[in-house]
Amino acid sequence: MKRREFLALTAVAACGPSKPPAAPPAAKIEDVLGRALDAAKRAGATYADARVVRTRDQTVSTREDHVVDVRDDARYGIGVRVLLVVPSESGATQAWGFAASANVDGPSAARTAERAVQLARANAGPRKRPIILAPVARYTDRWATPVAVDPFAITIAEKAELLREIWAEARLVRGAKYMDAHTRVIGEDKTFASSEGSLITQRITRVEARYEVTAIDETKNDSSTRASELAPMQAGWEHVSKSSLKQSARKIAEDAVEKMRAPSVVAAKRDLVLAPSNLWLVIHESIGHSTELDRVLGYEANFAGTSFAAPDQIGKLEYGKDNVSFYADKTTPGGLATCAYDDDGEKTQKWRLVDKGKLAAFQTTRDQASWIGEKRSRGCSYAEDWRSIPFQRMPNVSLEPGDKDVSLDDIIAATDDGVLVSGDGSWSIDHQRYNFQFGGQMFHAIKGGKLAGALRDVAYQSNTIEFWHSCDMLGGARHFTLHGSLVDGKGEPAQSNPVSHGCAPARFRNVNVINTKYDKT
Amino acid sequence: MSGRGLEIADRVLALAGKTGAQASVIVRESETAHVRFAASEITTSGEVTATDLRLELAFGQRHASSSIDQVDDVSLASLVSRTAELAKASPEDPEYVPPLPPQRYVQNAHAWDESTAALPASKRAAWARAAISRADEASRLQSDGKDSLVCAGYVETRARRSTLATSTGLRAEHRGTWASMTTTMRTPDGKGSGWAGAEETRAEDLDPAALAATAADRAKRSRAPTKLDPGRYMVVLEPAAVANLIDFLVEALDARAADQGRSFFSGRHVGDAIFDSRVTLRSDPLDPRTPGCPWDPDGVPLAPTTWIEGGKLKQLHYTRFWAKHRGRAPTGGHGSYVLSSSEPTAPTPAALLAGVKRGLLVTRFWYTRWLDPRQVLITGLTRDGVFLIEDGVPTRAVNNFRFNDSPVKMLSRLVTATQATWRVPSDGDAMRVPVVCCDDFEMASTSDAI
Repeated sequence: MKRREFLALTAVAACGPSKPPAAPPAAKIEDVLGRALDAAKRAGATYADARVVRTRDQTVSTREDHVVDVRDDARYGIGVRVLLVVPSESGATQAWGFAASANVDGPSAARTAERAVQLARANAGPRKRPIILAPVARYTDRWATPVAVDPFAITIAEKAELLREIWAEARLVRGAKYMDAHTRVIGEDKTFASSEGSLITQRITRVEARYEVTAIDETKNDSSTRASELAPMQAGWEHVSKSSLKQSARKIAEDAVEKMRAPSVVAAKRDLVLAPSNLWLVIHESIGHSTELDRVLGYEANFAGTSFAAPDQIGKLEYGKDNVSFYADKTTPGGLATCAYDDDGEKTQKWRLVDKGKLAAFQTTRDQASWIGEKRSRGCSYAEDWRSIPFQRMPNVSLEPGDKDVSLDDIIAATDDGVLVSGDGSWSIDHQRYNFQFGGQMFHAIKGGKLAGALRDVAYQSNTIEFWHSCDMLGGARHFTLHGSLVDGKGEPAQSNPVSHGCAPARFRNVNVINTKYDKT
Repeated sequence: MSGRGLEIADRVLALAGKTGAQASVIVRESETAHVRFAASEITTSGEVTATDLRLELAFGQRHASSSIDQVDDVSLASLVSRTAELAKASPEDPEYVPPLPPQRYVQNAHAWDESTAALPASKRAAWARAAISRADEASRLQSDGKDSLVCAGYVETRARRSTLATSTGLRAEHRGTWASMTTTMRTPDGKGSGWAGAEETRAEDLDPAALAATAADRAKRSRAPTKLDPGRYMVVLEPAAVANLIDFLVEALDARAADQGRSFFSGRHVGDAIFDSRVTLRSDPLDPRTPGCPWDPDGVPLAPTTWIEGGKLKQLHYTRFWAKHRGRAPTGGHGSYVLSSSEPTAPTPAALLAGVKRGLLVTRFWYTRWLDPRQVLITGLTRDGVFLIEDGVPTRAVNNFRFNDSPVKMLSRLVTATQATWRVPSDGDAMRVPVVCCDDFEMASTSDAI
């Protein structure tokens, strides 16, 4: 790459929509990263990478008709990661070290790199499993989220007005008493350089708009909430402005009231019809997390847990019948985890995690590929910000739609006695990903192929393997939608990873539907 | 850390003064260092030094806040101009309350430990190695692998200085240190798992070897669990499990939600007997064992506050706006909580267990989430050691469970609690709780996880 091209590349990071209050001149970023890598090498690192990362996170929050909070948070700094080989009596030992600083200048970057080496040295010791980095090509590139309307260019007043207009609709529904709402825009600009010669700049833009209406029945001292279902997405403001967020306000408020007055569900084994706005979270917890290789091999045992899946079960472990396949994809347009390169500098990819019901692969980073005999990383390394160590994080994980053009209405029509669940509610799964329990936003009884009124106090509980085996109807590709979350926690220190999951509506037979009312009399 | 928080805050206020806005600045200087270990070896280590600065500006009822982590002159000037621009563009907020005038705060000298703030990396590595050695030793002694162990864990030390300054002349400072270690020991066959953890203000108060021994013991005893059906059980909850549930109760003590009819406390009043008559829940930033910051982000002085006393609701949490709206005094946002029981209590955990004819001993919970806020109903799972208690003795390991139950019910069906309390590792609030025995706890389904 010519120097002029590089300047243009790094200028993206310095002058993008998420620019910090005071960015150093763009040309210095190359030098800063170079100083960090040089210092790391001089101090003894056999490998080093450095990231200059800027994040901007803007939230506008409202209660009913007024703004209660406007926040605009900027973070800017450099993180340096080093791999050290230390000679010892028992042979060479290795260790990772990481240090980070908010001072993005050459001398500070060099000191930060030296500190990372010092920390690695303090922690070096005999290794039971050597650190082997899977080879990666040398990349010089840039990438950005396709954005039609820069969400940071939309004024606070415009964002607030959207939320107030939503309340103006919702409040027309008798019984709808309160509404909490927010818009959130996150910009992430990252320039990555490695001692192996890669230099990659990426700008990621994510948007979210969400509201929750509370219905109150003062005579019965009762209340109920119903949240909107627009998924957060990697996109510009057009994702919000072209959505039906505002148009659905009255319906959301009506749902809140209807749910409050609905009969309490009768706990029993029932057929479940899950809308994509609910099913995505089951995919996330049961498939996404169980196929993280660090978790599988005990590297999250102290916090996020382990997994029921194991490397020697590839091709054997049946997650479900042959009608269910799941794929990982960090290239999905709009996906919250989508990017061109991961934080190891590896190109992002798409691959099957579960193929026709059977475990097919895991999620890996460069230092994990060799653990299961793979030659190349799957490109799943991610660090939340400049202060964070990159490690294996979940790509977008989705359920392949069925091969027939089946819609949600078709599934309901084919169901004699069941419950339809839409929207995400309470969620919880055990530390090996067997037992899960999910709620939702809205619940409807299905009788004789038709919706038969709302229900309340609904949750469903199952076991990952049992649940996916019970899937007998899958919606078609036309009904496939992405949902997701801006926050998914893992690791120590805890880090957040935005991630999306796509699916079509689906049906599950004989699932344990529970009544969440504690005193059922 | 530079210790320049007040100087930085004053520079920001000087710039903000030119805008004519009401201003409030919080500066947080922090040094955080960690060692992580898994598969019985150190995996990552890191150190982050940061200065985080949040500015809130208000023009009348129009307000906004921005934060940065750069403190050079250009960045500070840009922060002020950007925040002013956002505040002016924001619609009026009837809930905005201007900054407080100067307040009196009482500092807790126990919150800071110099040697913890300056702890060398080698010390953290040594703690991690204490756990690794414990697992390696167990594995070496057992040639048949029967009692081998694999360990994972996390060691962290933090030092933080916080400064609050406002355009109304309020100035507040606080500094605190934290040292924590948690470790999970598992049998290589995946059939046993045990956990232990601790958090202290002073690093020297941590005992890594004892934590490793406790986790190892639980791992070995938890092997090959017996299948037990779901149902309602008498449970003995270790402090980590108790604190996890109390977190939700603290969140539920919100006066606004109660007054608006959307909370468990709607329709209930101060003085109502809701919990067992022995139960008390307090906050006290001056407590030497769970020291807290004596002011909240609004500058409200945090006085010792009793939320539940003798089983009766004593106080709900009031923000400044809601307090003004309801004609009450604000409680401030507390950061430390202590749950305790009056007599009769059990003098020791062993004495508490001795009184249980049949029940479950739970090490900790995992993935706890709201199931229904109106009932303070929580779901979650047991993890890293559940043992059947028979005639006062934990006799064997049993499977893990999912529970659907409530901290309100836990405290209203209290059988016994220990006299002593333990501080529990926490990312947020500092919490000290006893071992609690309560009846009729709903284990709703079983889990195959170990």
